Amino acid sequence: MTLTQTASALDAEAIGRISDRHDEPAWLRALRARWWQAAEQTPPPTGQEEEWRRTSLDNLPRDAGLLLDAPQLETHLPSDAAQAGVILTDLRTAIREHSQLVERYLGRVSGPASHAHFWALAQAAWTGGLFCYVPRGVSVDGTLVARQTMARADINFHPVSLVVAEEGSSVTLLEEVVSPDGATGWYGGIVDVQAAQGARVRYANLQQLGDGVWRVGAERVVVGQDAVVITLNAEVGSKVTKLGLDVLMTGKGGTSKVLGLLAAGDDQQIDINTVQDLAADHTTSDLLYLSALYDRAHASFYGVTNVRHGTKQTSSYQECRNLLLSPQAGAEPIPVLEIAANDILRCGHGATAGAIDPTTLFYAQSRGLDADAAERMIVRGFFEQVVAKVEDETIRERILAALARRIGSTEANS
Amino acid sequence: MTTLEQTASGFVTVARVGDVEPGAVRVVEIDGRSLCIGLTEDGEWGAIDNVCTHDGGTLGEGELDDSGVECPRHGGRFDLFSGRVLALPPVRPVEAYETVVDGDEIRVRL
Amino acid sequence: MALPNPALSQIPDGYKFGWHDSEQPRTTFEKGISAEVVAEISRIKDEPTWMTDLRLKAYRHFEARPMPKWGADLAGIDFQDIYYYVTGNSDGAAQSWDDVPDYIRRTYDKLGIPEAEKKYLAGVGGQYDSEVIYHNIREDLEKQGVIFMGTDQALKEHPDLFREHFGTVIPANDNKLAALNTAVWSGGSFIYVPKDVHVELPLQAYFRINTQNMGQFERTLIIADEGSSVHYVEGCTAPTYSTASLHSAVVEIIVKKGARVRYTTIQNWSSNVYNLVTKRAVAHEDAVMEWVDGNLGSKVTMKYPSIYLLGERAHGEVLSIAFAGDGQHQDAGGKIIHAAPNTTSLITSKSISKGTGRTSYRGLIKVYPGCEKSKSTVRCDALILSDEARSDTYPYMEIDEEDVTIGHEATVSKVGSEQLFYLMSRGLSEAEASAMIVNGFIEPIVKELPMEYAVEMNRLIQLQMEGAVG
Repeated sequence: MTLTQTASALDAEAIGRISDRHDEPAWLRALRARWWQAAEQTPPPTGQEEEWRRTSLDNLPRDAGLLLDAPQLETHLPSDAAQAGVILTDLRTAIREHSQLVERYLGRVSGPASHAHFWALAQAAWTGGLFCYVPRGVSVDGTLVARQTMARADINFHPVSLVVAEEGSSVTLLEEVVSPDGATGWYGGIVDVQAAQGARVRYANLQQLGDGVWRVGAERVVVGQDAVVITLNAEVGSKVTKLGLDVLMTGKGGTSKVLGLLAAGDDQQIDINTVQDLAADHTTSDLLYLSALYDRAHASFYGVTNVRHGTKQTSSYQECRNLLLSPQAGAEPIPVLEIAANDILRCGHGATAGAIDPTTLFYAQSRGLDADAAERMIVRGFFEQVVAKVEDETIRERILAALARRIGSTEANS
Repeated sequence: MTTLEQTASGFVTVARVGDVEPGAVRVVEIDGRSLCIGLTEDGEWGAIDNVCTHDGGTLGEGELDDSGVECPRHGGRFDLFSGRVLALPPVRPVEAYETVVDGDEIRVRL
Repeated sequence: MALPNPALSQIPDGYKFGWHDSEQPRTTFEKGISAEVVAEISRIKDEPTWMTDLRLKAYRHFEARPMPKWGADLAGIDFQDIYYYVTGNSDGAAQSWDDVPDYIRRTYDKLGIPEAEKKYLAGVGGQYDSEVIYHNIREDLEKQGVIFMGTDQALKEHPDLFREHFGTVIPANDNKLAALNTAVWSGGSFIYVPKDVHVELPLQAYFRINTQNMGQFERTLIIADEGSSVHYVEGCTAPTYSTASLHSAVVEIIVKKGARVRYTTIQNWSSNVYNLVTKRAVAHEDAVMEWVDGNLGSKVTMKYPSIYLLGERAHGEVLSIAFAGDGQHQDAGGKIIHAAPNTTSLITSKSISKGTGRTSYRGLIKVYPGCEKSKSTVRCDALILSDEARSDTYPYMEIDEEDVTIGHEATVSKVGSEQLFYLMSRGLSEAEASAMIVNGFIEPIVKELPMEYAVEMNRLIQLQMEGAVG
């Protein structure tokens, strides 16, 4: 793996060097240049913005070297899926082997408004990522898995994960990101999920970055007509995670489930901004974010449900629940509703924060478990609620295994 | 206490007489800490923590009325000598430090 | 078919807002604010030096602070286009209804207060423009040692008590509008209830704005000493004018150990008024504080009654109703700060937006570390009645203590078509049916209001609903 040697990790020159290094096609050079311009014109947040008030970017390690060659992406794609035309590779390989297809979809949408600068940055300066593509009408059995491992943490890396499900297709994808503990670095990965009419997509992102890494990322999900998209973002690692996640219901009858879980300890800070944008009739969007907070960890959640003027019969719910498991842990759940239409089927939100209910704890302990084991069991049950909604066994197992430190191993309740 | 005894029990010099106008406060950074020191119209010196417990305002950049230090951010007030809250929105007191005048030096026990 | 509430027939016919008496204010300054105006207000009132100094300091803060960048649109306020002090048409304080000048009594009569009610009123601090012209303390209150008078008078008659508490809950620099109020305040109520005294009947006040471009800056201070209890009710109405009016009041309440205070407001300012109020209470050990807040009028209201729970086992509640019709924006809610263990709080908000109206619930639950065993529940429900209306909910939470139970729930819904169909099939018009549903929606809060307000509220909702359907 190679790093750039320049003092300032990201500038127009470095962008050009990325293209040179991999002999990128002209369309891609032009695309990067346009996005770099956008990044320069969209300044980073000042901290005055509502979404940025709670987490300071002062110590973001902007000067960590930019990783020019992404480490190998491990992918698992069943052969029959490959035969049906499904693609699951790292982004660089995809551009080499499926240039026209990638060109059709890469860098075409703008990211969450609150994270616009970082979206533009990643679109300009990505040096790795993945491309998952499912052709029209193809239904993929089993769970696709892509795992990005980084041998070192002290780097600047902004991969783009592009997931495209064409009309009537169906796919389940688990993306994992892992880096070692220790050094401080900046992982600015973005995820771009596009589900066309009638597509069914389940996308899970399991983040296990090292304890010194800053994760400032964004995710954008577009849900077409009658499409069903379930996303699950699991935050286990990082020193600071700041994630902006927008789900756009642009097609009539679309359904989305926005799921999130985070288990944070030590001095971790997790700050999530979501937007559920119900911009078409008969759309449904339900959000469930659960967090378990240990030691001195702190979780903020600012989520907006936006029901657009003129839409009919939308249905939305936002729920954010925080388990505080130590005296110094803190939570700020702020579910916001901005409703400009009156023909609503259902709309609401709920948020809670607090310790494990004493009755529940007592009951668990009365079954012979000590306090620690009882707590682990209860936290496991808490997270099972959200993981169960993905309805995929591989995703469930991998996520629960990643949480083993908090909830015990998957075999027994000890 | 003599100067030597003061130093031995943790007093440090933070200012000199004349550094602060009567009825005013100012910021002093010492030993990695940020303090708000003030001199009342009656001629008494006091010192408290510089950070308002409400929203992090800088008390030393505020105003002093009698013995109340007014935070410039939202007007909360703390007693210059005890650190206790005199007016909301802060609810938790700030730490106060014993202050003595030794010659023309203002010394505070950290 | 008559509506099922017989009390409604007692409302005088022709009740509508939009009336006003012809203006005859006596002393008026030039429009606009400056340090000189502030000093002059203090001089006219013959205030002690500390108050004059505080007003001037507050004015400095007002000048220096920017307007809030969040909340409603306040671009229409021109601070220099307002009269900051006007005295009324009376000759000073009156001791009974008979002493109140004729056309002012007419104003109160139009509000529909039945004659019989007046006898039961414990005391009324009425305010015509900026001056308290009527206050009446009945003999038993005086005997109990309860103080209920205009704020200006309290400063003169109870200077120590006044100074001990004034500005301790809402300091001069809390926000721009509180700074303005501290600089130019005039009128308002001062209440002190001694230890273990229970004031059985609600203390009430009415006032209205009656001068073009008149700002209202009343300052209310309520102190409930240990073990006491009192209920204060405030309701106001204002005529419609073509240029904007500003209402920027400050209410400070101190509920000492074991005491109980309820403060009820129904505001129905005319649709050109900016109603920007800072209301805050502190509740000490075992104290109970309740805000009942009804926002029906004004062009823009920004108001978040707050309670600081400073002592163990203190309890705070905010019951809030907001109704936004065409062109109105009600930005309201409540803030509760848990600063001691075993404290509890409840916020219930019901809002309705119709036409092009907009309601925003904005609230905060904050729990400081060390406040173990605290509990808070927030419940916000909104009804949105037209496709041009808008409803927002911004519930902030900052929870820094683990051993607590904090929950918030909100819903936004429209009037159910099945409900509507059922009522209409019983002979009600769509407007009548909608009014009934809306009244049912807000009933849990309306039932906490004193009767005449409940009746007024229901009647106002009906009038509003007749204007638009669906």
